[in-house]
Amino acid sequence: MSQVSIPARVHTQRTDRIEARANGLLGDCRRAFHAFGNLDELAENLRILSLNAELAAGRAGEKGRAVRALTQYTRELVNRLAQIQGEMNALRHRTFALSSTILRGMMQMALFERACALVDDVGHDAAAKASVNRAFSRIMRMLVDTLDDMANSVGDLARRTHGVEEVVSQSDSIATNIAIEAAAAGEHEKEFRTVSDTMRRYVDDLRLMIDEASDAVRRASEKGEALRRLGLDSLEDLEDLEDNG
Amino acid sequence: MKCVTLFRDNEHCWQAFGQDPDKPDNVVDTNQYVVRSGDAAILLDPGGMEVFPPMLAALTREIPVENVTALFLSHQDPDIGSSLPLWRRICKPDVKIYLSWLWAGFTAHFDRDAVFTTIPDEGMEMSLSHDVKLRFLPAHYLHSSGNFNVYDPKARVLFSGDMGAALVPADKGNGTMFVSDFAGHIQYMEGFHRRWLGSPQARDAWVAQMSKLDIDILAPQHGLVFKGDDVRRFMDWIAGLDIGSGLAAMNR
Repeated sequence: MSQVSIPARVHTQRTDRIEARANGLLGDCRRAFHAFGNLDELAENLRILSLNAELAAGRAGEKGRAVRALTQYTRELVNRLAQIQGEMNALRHRTFALSSTILRGMMQMALFERACALVDDVGHDAAAKASVNRAFSRIMRMLVDTLDDMANSVGDLARRTHGVEEVVSQSDSIATNIAIEAAAAGEHEKEFRTVSDTMRRYVDDLRLMIDEASDAVRRASEKGEALRRLGLDSLEDLEDLEDNG
Repeated sequence: MKCVTLFRDNEHCWQAFGQDPDKPDNVVDTNQYVVRSGDAAILLDPGGMEVFPPMLAALTREIPVENVTALFLSHQDPDIGSSLPLWRRICKPDVKIYLSWLWAGFTAHFDRDAVFTTIPDEGMEMSLSHDVKLRFLPAHYLHSSGNFNVYDPKARVLFSGDMGAALVPADKGNGTMFVSDFAGHIQYMEGFHRRWLGSPQARDAWVAQMSKLDIDILAPQHGLVFKGDDVRRFMDWIAGLDIGSGLAAMNR
């Protein structure tokens, strides 16, 4: 009968660092998507506002012509928002699937790292050590590849955020133009001003979303890159070990 | 982790792995078994992911991991096979994974890329080598509804899964992996069998099926291994045990 005594679970500093940074990255991605959680509701509100504005413009006759043109432009922006929202939903699915792969990879990596430490003794021959180290390298490679995909997803998210930013800027201009039109609309001034004020409120809400999301995306992007570098360094070390072992 | 040879005849060998002294207390102790014949080996109930590192370390002291040509999961529980994706990372890509047809889709939750060789309800035979054949015998509802034991007629060893399982406190072990005092051992398996087993008909069918076999060693997935007369003692004991104790908690 043989008995092998093993130490309690061992983590190297590098695995701990990878795990901590990966958790941070996933947290930032979650925060970014969470920031856009009310985007569909805001887009719908903006759509209803544009319909109401168009009705008001119709009631104003000649004085509402410019507002009518502006509301048509607003509807285009709403469509653009809906498109971004759809793309973001697909991106959210992809990002969460990648998160799940990363979490699974980290768990497997920790277990294989423990196994590597356990086989690193005189009771195991070089072939046994090599096969465990190889498996560890493969997981690390999978993790680095998944982190690459994750970095691309974060890049896509940044582009969508920029898309929403453009919509905000244009909506802001429309709100300003409607306010200008309101000043010259006589008895319809109050209606148009309400539209302009409401639109500005939505713009402020969108801006708040973007501020929160941009911050999270920026952090995620930095962490993703740092994590990828860390993974690549670890992979290089492991490959050196394999070559020399 | 302990490694005990249960049977050896030249290159034909059964080994039990378990009683890991560094296992966290909240993780139930499990036995993993390896049946070897020449350069081929099958791992029976490879264990949960928590035992994977010490199990891999203990196994690779005995054989190259490349020799593991097959994995067998007696049923779907996490302590049986949640390590599956880890084993698949280290074994050859063509490693066979045997599992009841009932659980293939469920066990895929542990490892969606695993390809299972499903075992029909009536069981099947697999050839480990040209002269060692293992029989996967049905043990349904004991406790899992799709459950198999493994019998090696040449070694006269039965891997009995949860039948014969015992939860022996770490400080109550006898220093070996074998039952040395059957009467004293009952206290560690009684509660388990009363509560985990629910079907007296299944139990009776199992006893009838196994009584026809020549069994020198009965090796459960938890606790100590029975050998010699203790195998018969276990059969007699389980045949008369009142099981399904969980029913008492219903409709109160």
